[in-house]
Amino acid sequence: MEFLLELMTEELPSSHVRSALSQLEEKFIQELQSARIGIRSLKTLGTCRRLVVTADLEAGQPDEEEVVTGPPKQVAVQADGTFTASAFGFAKAQGLTVDQLEVIKTAKGEYLGFKRLKKGKPTAEVIQERLPFILSSLSFPKNMRWGEKTFRFSRPIKNLLCLFDGRVIPLEFEGLESSNLTYGHFIHAPEPLRVLGFEDYLHLLREHFVLIDPEERKQIILKQFGEKLSLLKAEVYPDEGLLTRLLWNVEFPLVIMGGFPEKYLELPLEVLSTAMREGQKLFSVVKDKKQLPYFLGIADAPSDPRGFIASGNERVLKARLEDARFFWGNDLKTRLSDRVPLLNSVVFQEKLGSYAEKVERLQKLVAYLADRLELRNEKKDLIEAARLCKADLLTDMVREFPELQGKMGGLYSRQQGWSETVSRAIYEHYLPVSLDDPVPESMAGAVLSIADKIDTIVGVFGVGISISGSSDPFGLRRYGLAICKIVMEKKFHISLQRLLDKAISLVADRINMSEAELKKACLEFFEGRVRYILEKQGYSYDLINAALGPGIEFLEQTTARIKALSELKQSKNFEQFILMVKRIKNILKEPPRARLNSALLKEKEEKELYSALKIIKKNVEGMLARGDFSSAQRMIFRLQAPLNSFFDRVLVMAEDRKIRNNRLALLNQILALTNEMADYSHIVVESESR
Amino acid sequence: MSLQELFLKLYDFWSRQGCYLAPSYDLEVGAGTMTPDTFFRVLGKKPWKVAYIQPSRRPTDGRYGENPHRVQKHFQFQVIIKPSPDNIQRIYLDSLTALGINLREHDLRFDEDDWESPTIGAWGVGWQVMLDGLEITQFTYFQQAGGLELYPVSVEITYGLERLEMFLEQKDNIYDLSWSGDVSYRDLRFREEKEFSIYNFEQADTQMLQKSFNAMEKEAQRLINQNLLLPAYDHCLKCSHFFNLLDSRGAISVTERVKLIGQIRSLVNQIARKFVEQEGES
Repeated sequence: MEFLLELMTEELPSSHVRSALSQLEEKFIQELQSARIGIRSLKTLGTCRRLVVTADLEAGQPDEEEVVTGPPKQVAVQADGTFTASAFGFAKAQGLTVDQLEVIKTAKGEYLGFKRLKKGKPTAEVIQERLPFILSSLSFPKNMRWGEKTFRFSRPIKNLLCLFDGRVIPLEFEGLESSNLTYGHFIHAPEPLRVLGFEDYLHLLREHFVLIDPEERKQIILKQFGEKLSLLKAEVYPDEGLLTRLLWNVEFPLVIMGGFPEKYLELPLEVLSTAMREGQKLFSVVKDKKQLPYFLGIADAPSDPRGFIASGNERVLKARLEDARFFWGNDLKTRLSDRVPLLNSVVFQEKLGSYAEKVERLQKLVAYLADRLELRNEKKDLIEAARLCKADLLTDMVREFPELQGKMGGLYSRQQGWSETVSRAIYEHYLPVSLDDPVPESMAGAVLSIADKIDTIVGVFGVGISISGSSDPFGLRRYGLAICKIVMEKKFHISLQRLLDKAISLVADRINMSEAELKKACLEFFEGRVRYILEKQGYSYDLINAALGPGIEFLEQTTARIKALSELKQSKNFEQFILMVKRIKNILKEPPRARLNSALLKEKEEKELYSALKIIKKNVEGMLARGDFSSAQRMIFRLQAPLNSFFDRVLVMAEDRKIRNNRLALLNQILALTNEMADYSHIVVESESR
Repeated sequence: MSLQELFLKLYDFWSRQGCYLAPSYDLEVGAGTMTPDTFFRVLGKKPWKVAYIQPSRRPTDGRYGENPHRVQKHFQFQVIIKPSPDNIQRIYLDSLTALGINLREHDLRFDEDDWESPTIGAWGVGWQVMLDGLEITQFTYFQQAGGLELYPVSVEITYGLERLEMFLEQKDNIYDLSWSGDVSYRDLRFREEKEFSIYNFEQADTQMLQKSFNAMEKEAQRLINQNLLLPAYDHCLKCSHFFNLLDSRGAISVTERVKLIGQIRSLVNQIARKFVEQEGES
């Protein structure tokens, strides 16, 4: 049977709508399942003014056999089989006669009791009970109160429609009485509408300028984009984030197109598209990657009958572009290098000093990285880029549009005649801004990005600022992820340990903890980031623990290592091998007290194991050095046969203490070798979990 | 419709909503929110309805009269209603209709925009209202002021009058707006913008401002100790204005900025706490 819920609100932020809908879906399914209500289908829909759940549900809980137990049999039935007073009392209390009672066996013993059929609750009743709880458990990044209410929600709630099988489920939620009413578009059709069911709801809303399905709104927007641009043969400058945001902000999308004077085209595309996106949320129109003097916008209206929407947006945009053009011209009058000394007065962090000092450190860090990565040709340009990279913080454009930091430095340095390597490195050095963002394309950009971020991480931790839960004022987690992502994707062979040593030495005079302490904190922090990335890539926690076993010195190897592990997990030897490693680790709970002495190896099997180990070890080490983890792992698996024979024929815990310690030492060498590859003992295999 | 008629229509509309029409406050403030008619009245439990025009000074926004959109002083139409009515969005839409705007011919959006003023320890949740891409109003449910949780919650509606007038007159240049039938915005404001831009950016004596800031801060604290909270608050407003001037002279570093704002906030928070205590007593 059909269920329909619509909670109307004042305009929710787009991200809040999306999060609320996924929470609603999850919580509804959870609550209905725990109430044993069958779900045939369930989906969520919505706009910034409506959170909607629609579902096809069973009419009620299934009926259930219920067992009611009374007094213990010993007490209720005498040896001759006649009932005692306690049996009669129980039967009477239950409205039964004693002959309707039976003996019920439970874990605690035998009781007198009876079985009865319990009628399932109707679905409407279950929803009536649980809906207020579901709605009030929705959580948002930021909540508010309004009027005289103490209830908190993302924005004020306005109306509650709740229907099951066409009938209102009567309930009250924070001052709203449920009904079968909804309202049309807040400007174009704000009247109340009486709803019979879901199909009717869709139809009524559509007639009253609301398209409740986000996918439909998206298709309409894309279609109208295409129509507007077909004559120009142009494209929308892609901005998925903006599209997603607007998609939820409108109930009845209308694409509008406008233009601006050509003189603004002298501004770079980055500036134009930022000026359009910020404030007015407009899309740039491009052809062959060049900006055309047009924009597209998404209005919440059925039409623009008098062209006011387009012309109004044109007027506002012109004013913003005029500002941007003024900033561009004005900023270019000062060479970036002339701004560098002024960074002295821009505080990076109170205890870490100014940006001028940061830039000094960055020059040393990029020089170090250039040497490690053998970037001889780029080294000089990299140092120059590091010197200039923060100078754009002092430009008018970045003050107006902070999100253009870096990019402006890149664009201005190119205009002012610095080399492509320099301007590219500056341009890209904030990338990647998020885990989904691309890493810098250029080597120099990638190196400068790493240097900038590692300096911030060690500095901020070093002055005693720690991150916890939602508190991460400098966005260190994001920086940590960005470094891991760059190193992994660019396959930079850089030792994280040594990079940290270098970065820490540069802030040593500023920090208020020992360098060793700081390094330990940073390594733990990076392990957390790597773990997060691997989890996002879908690896299971046991494989991640195994792959992180050998440490995270070379991040690009961690990825290769876990990839190899996960491939080999499919092979048939894998499980046996893991069990073997666990067995060894178990035996070695106490470390052996002697070193391996080959002269003490007596039995054939232990001699064979030792010689196999020597050969395999040599091979594995070569493979690991080449970063060929798949082959190394396969090679390690070859220990299995000699190990099997060893365990079959040789008693590790020999009576002779010398022999025993020697065998333990042999096993210890094997464990040490496997640990170089991964800490296999973390891996969960099926035969254990059963 | 001239700017003057816009004033009258908004006054008329909101007085019919039961608002008391307050005169503009007679000190320099950065926004209508800063004046006592908002700051003190959103604290505590007593209902309140007020509407007023407030000249608002933001020295760093000055452009010597050369930019068609930015000015160092503009006019806000400020509405405060406590507790916020359930249908306040609808009332607001009606106010636009009362200005002769046919909303069905335009694109009106409530666009997520939370508001915060660290100087007076205040924040709220709400939107900027966009009309065909132009921000015409800030719409906020106050959650905190003077560092105190607010209950009941007030709603603040702040119309940017020049913006709204540019929309109504379809003008691209603020100075071309008509103030009344034969007086333009340029006639009244151009010279003021030019001279104050020179003062704000070039001439304001930073040593004098720094000294004045310190003197006003000291006086505010003394007045708080005397339980003269309204005069104390006036001195906080003066501090805030001197701070803004110092800022436009580029005389404040980032760390100092945090420190000075913190000083004002600490005074304002003391005032708010005492005010609520004393109101509770009476």
